[in-house]
Amino acid sequence: MNQMTCKSGVKLLMEYLEGTLPEDVRTAVEAHVAACPRCVAFIASYRETPRLMRDLTEAAIPADLADSLRTHLRAHRQQTPKQS
Amino acid sequence: MLAALAARGDDHAFDLLMERYQARVFRLASRLTNDTDAGDIVQEVFLRVYRRMGSFRGDARFSTWLYSVTANACRMWRRAHARRPTAPLDDFLPQFDSTGTHAHSPAHFERTMHVEERLDRQRLAEAAQQALARLPELYRQAFVLRDLEELPTEEVAEILGVQAATIRQRVHRARLLLRGFLNAIPEKSR
Repeated sequence: MNQMTCKSGVKLLMEYLEGTLPEDVRTAVEAHVAACPRCVAFIASYRETPRLMRDLTEAAIPADLADSLRTHLRAHRQQTPKQS
Repeated sequence: MLAALAARGDDHAFDLLMERYQARVFRLASRLTNDTDAGDIVQEVFLRVYRRMGSFRGDARFSTWLYSVTANACRMWRRAHARRPTAPLDDFLPQFDSTGTHAHSPAHFERTMHVEERLDRQRLAEAAQQALARLPELYRQAFVLRDLEELPTEEVAEILGVQAATIRQRVHRARLLLRGFLNAIPEKSR
């Protein structure tokens, strides 16, 4: 395969992290990253992104959610009783 | 087991299923719509599932089916509540020089790791929600299910009805955009 660069490595990053790359391509990515401090730092920030977004978008569950769902469903059941 | 009972018309089993999954459905709906009051969507989802429960055959996991119904409900909700188009995040994609080398230094990338020190929690959370809303719909769905709800790629593919490779492409693109966005958040004013 052609010489691995930061740009071509970034394109393969998700597949690399998921372990779906062919062995020779995975080896080429690892060889590039081992000699590239920019890619090391970039990959660390890429891996951190899901955790940050998960923490920052964690919605508080409303205390009355369970009650409102039960009430809503009960009303529906009363309007449309099951046929025996 | 519960799903099989509910499919045969056992309301108590359905209530237990609803109790088990309601928080996850709420969180997913909130992340897919930006609606902090996603309760209406959750009601609609469980009502739809209840009405169709008799057709659930158990070929897929109940949770996979439930997430699929939720994703569809959120897509419909977003269409009905479409606001002005938001600016895309394309400016935040990584930059390279003519040789394909990263245009920025390691120190620049490390800024992402310290974003929580640059802005207070509430403003950062608002910025993160806005960034999610600026993702194209297809990237957002894949990213939320895969990375925020932490479902396996194969299950996300089943929920959204596409190939796993397609999910990987969409999640990758979303991560690149959001990584750049977080990296570019400026220092808080002192």
